Amino acid sequence: MEVEKYLTDATLEVFSSMVFIDITAESPTEDPAQAIQPNLSSLIGFAGDLKGILAIHCPAAVAMGITTSMLGMEVAALDEDVKDAIGEIANMVAGGLKAGLATENKKIELAIPTTVVGKSIHTSGLSGATRVVLPFFSPLGRFGVELRFIHS
Amino acid sequence: MNSFAEINDKLIESTIEIFTGMVMMEISVAGGPLESMGPLKNSITGMVGLAGTHKGVLAVHFPKQVALAVTSSFLGMEVEEINEDVQDAIGEIANMLGGNLKTILSDRGRDIHLSLPSTIYGDEYAFSSQAEVDQVILPFQAPTGLFYVEVELEH
Repeated sequence: MEVEKYLTDATLEVFSSMVFIDITAESPTEDPAQAIQPNLSSLIGFAGDLKGILAIHCPAAVAMGITTSMLGMEVAALDEDVKDAIGEIANMVAGGLKAGLATENKKIELAIPTTVVGKSIHTSGLSGATRVVLPFFSPLGRFGVELRFIHS
Repeated sequence: MNSFAEINDKLIESTIEIFTGMVMMEISVAGGPLESMGPLKNSITGMVGLAGTHKGVLAVHFPKQVALAVTSSFLGMEVEEINEDVQDAIGEIANMLGGNLKTILSDRGRDIHLSLPSTIYGDEYAFSSQAEVDQVILPFQAPTGLFYVEVELEH
């Protein structure tokens, strides 16, 4: 199973076709979610042959920059538009993961995205799940895509 | 789909059941459903996604002191900080509530699947879903304070 590849490809695809920002994948590190210090995290659960959760972690400047480019409008705060935009990115990246897994005849279904905005937010999952954290570099700064899953 | 009023009653019943039977803590409903919640301060949230015939999220929001008391009672051990035990306990409570919600929404929970539970904590954060959802927030009174069970379902 090439989960990391599906995630990377899905993220790059979403950013080139929907967000219109050039990003590059960096090599996975131990815990960029903490290193990145997100002010906004969008999470979406999935279930099926794999069950787990996918999260996009962004510092405020990155989340606002992505939204500006994606929606073609200036945003100056982490408002509803930003939450919707990053939530939609989580949804689309999870959709890409679903398509990748489908090529291996593994089926997953998606829940709905939820967005958390705050100061020094931490997210964690159940101990025992496989965890993949992929940092990406954008002109606005770094952000992270995180996946935690188990086989059903 | 069932109406939210019907879901509310069953959700209240099953939340009380889980706390009485599994957490070993007496709780009660603290008023009617809330429309929205302000930012959560010094809190921890457990959440689990629902996928299948119903798509959505169940979340349970605990202020820190309530989360610590719930974890101590649930695991039978003293906890003083939000550590891995607290995260696991709160995630597991979200998972149990999600399991019951599944059964409430569909006969014996068929055709709905839960994601893995996840926890979020921080000094101050706001929790929100996409716009196109039905949402309910139920307040409960525990001995150490209030906590909230939130359900969001896609139309």
